Amino acid sequence: MKANKLGAILVSPSILFLAVILIIPLFYTIYISLYDMRYLQLGDFVGLKNYIKVFTSDDIRSSISITFIVTFVGLFLSIITGTLLALWINSKKGFTAYIIQIVVLIPWVISMVVGALLWKWIFNNLGLLNYVLNLIGFQSVDVLGNPRTAPVALIFVIAWRTVGFAMVLILAGLKSIPKELEEAGQVDGANKWRTFWLIKLPLLKTPIMVTSIILMLSNFNNVDVPMVLTGGGPGDATNVITMELYKQGFVYFNFGVASALSFVVLMVNILLITLYIRMVKYEI
Amino acid sequence: MRSKGLQFTFSGSLKSIILFVTFGLVVIVNIVPILWGVKTSIMSPSDIFFYPPKLFNFEATFEHYIRIFNGGYLRTFLNSIFYCVASIIFGLFLGILAAYGFDRFLFRFKKPMFYLVVFCIPLSIGSSALIIPNYLYMSELSFLNEWYTLPILYTAYNLPMAIWIIKSGVETIPVEVDEAATIDGASRFYFIFGMLAVLCRPALAAAALFIFLGAWNEFILSSIMINSPDLRPVQLAIYQYLGFFGQEWGPLTAAASTAIIPSIIVFTFLGRMLISGLTAGSVKS
Repeated sequence: MKANKLGAILVSPSILFLAVILIIPLFYTIYISLYDMRYLQLGDFVGLKNYIKVFTSDDIRSSISITFIVTFVGLFLSIITGTLLALWINSKKGFTAYIIQIVVLIPWVISMVVGALLWKWIFNNLGLLNYVLNLIGFQSVDVLGNPRTAPVALIFVIAWRTVGFAMVLILAGLKSIPKELEEAGQVDGANKWRTFWLIKLPLLKTPIMVTSIILMLSNFNNVDVPMVLTGGGPGDATNVITMELYKQGFVYFNFGVASALSFVVLMVNILLITLYIRMVKYEI
Repeated sequence: MRSKGLQFTFSGSLKSIILFVTFGLVVIVNIVPILWGVKTSIMSPSDIFFYPPKLFNFEATFEHYIRIFNGGYLRTFLNSIFYCVASIIFGLFLGILAAYGFDRFLFRFKKPMFYLVVFCIPLSIGSSALIIPNYLYMSELSFLNEWYTLPILYTAYNLPMAIWIIKSGVETIPVEVDEAATIDGASRFYFIFGMLAVLCRPALAAAALFIFLGAWNEFILSSIMINSPDLRPVQLAIYQYLGFFGQEWGPLTAAASTAIIPSIIVFTFLGRMLISGLTAGSVKS
């Protein structure tokens, strides 16, 4: 490979573009978060007051706990189901395996707005879910109107859209396990269950961790699904942090507090991004 | 399983039953919402709210489709196609230059520049931390609510992944090919867009597919950046119908069913590419 300015010239349009559109705004927001800003009018310098508001607001504090539940339970469900499916598909070959992957990936390919809307219709009082519940002898449930069931519905839809993604990544990990290792295990008399626990699972650690980090990021930042499915309600039952962020900005037009909250969310993201980059060895 | 005869053990059959049931449930849970939505979209309003739901005994009607398309839905569809095409062209143009630069040359600050790109891949997954920054910054630049607002953002969000995917394509082309081309006197620019692009078609197609899905399915940025109905993309239109039609599930499901057609078509034909792109982009470890 030769040292050449041409490389820098080829790369710089993309770097400049990313810096201008994605990176500089982050610094701009840190600046705004130190000011009082309503309706896009930059007011007085207030120091850390917006951050104090973020950490003392009851709304924001309650939304943090909901966010963590939604993020981690959603993640757990996707990873478990994704791993099960990956194990199953791994034993299938050719076209069958392909069709199964396609079917499982569908929710990830359609938009979150459409996915959430379709489920909203199914969860409706007169919808398919209540019909099935009645058929098997249960009472109707107002899924999205009840503060206890609405978070369950939100978690379900979030896990639903990521199962396929988890499966594809874990399947790729499974495929990279050398056949000899499995055979060696079988020769040594390990049954399928032990082969899975002692040979496959340890080798799947990296793909499962990488998938988990991506899904954590994606669930933690998901605003489309709560927006369409529940709108944060009923009450504040599904008011995840991103809904609160959206409201601070585009319902209360309190951009100072919204910027401070964005910065907090960004710090969590950067933590996850760092883990991700250390795990996935991108090399040039 | 059955052909294995004596090896058909209890634990083996239990495991295959669990896996089969899991898969059965996933198929139902993945396909049924879409079929149910499509079915609702072709039912008359009175049939939709008939309880218990009519499964097959209804008369199909296209009234909801006619209603939304008369109400300007087609415009939002065309807007979205424009946003996708613009982002794909811009993204592939920048992406192939950067991928080639990163793969074939050494230059100052190469590492930090590359890590910036890598950092932006997960950064754009966590997009909700970016909505306020992007909004305030675009409004500072007076870039809000313009025809180019969304293409710029969609390109920026999907470019890092595109560079990574295209770079994996460029890697497979031997260096001798560029050397032969430069000796022949073909200009570098012609080489990149004429020869290299043709040689890494699969990688470019995979990158285009990701940009397409990202741009077609994006909602939250468009909801804060775009005000005028003439510029609305399709997902934003569906969200606004939710407020406008309220409990009228006919037009809502009609809009939703139409919006998934492009994704499903693209996915059915290029699914294999999507799956390989996904795994290349994330678990290259």
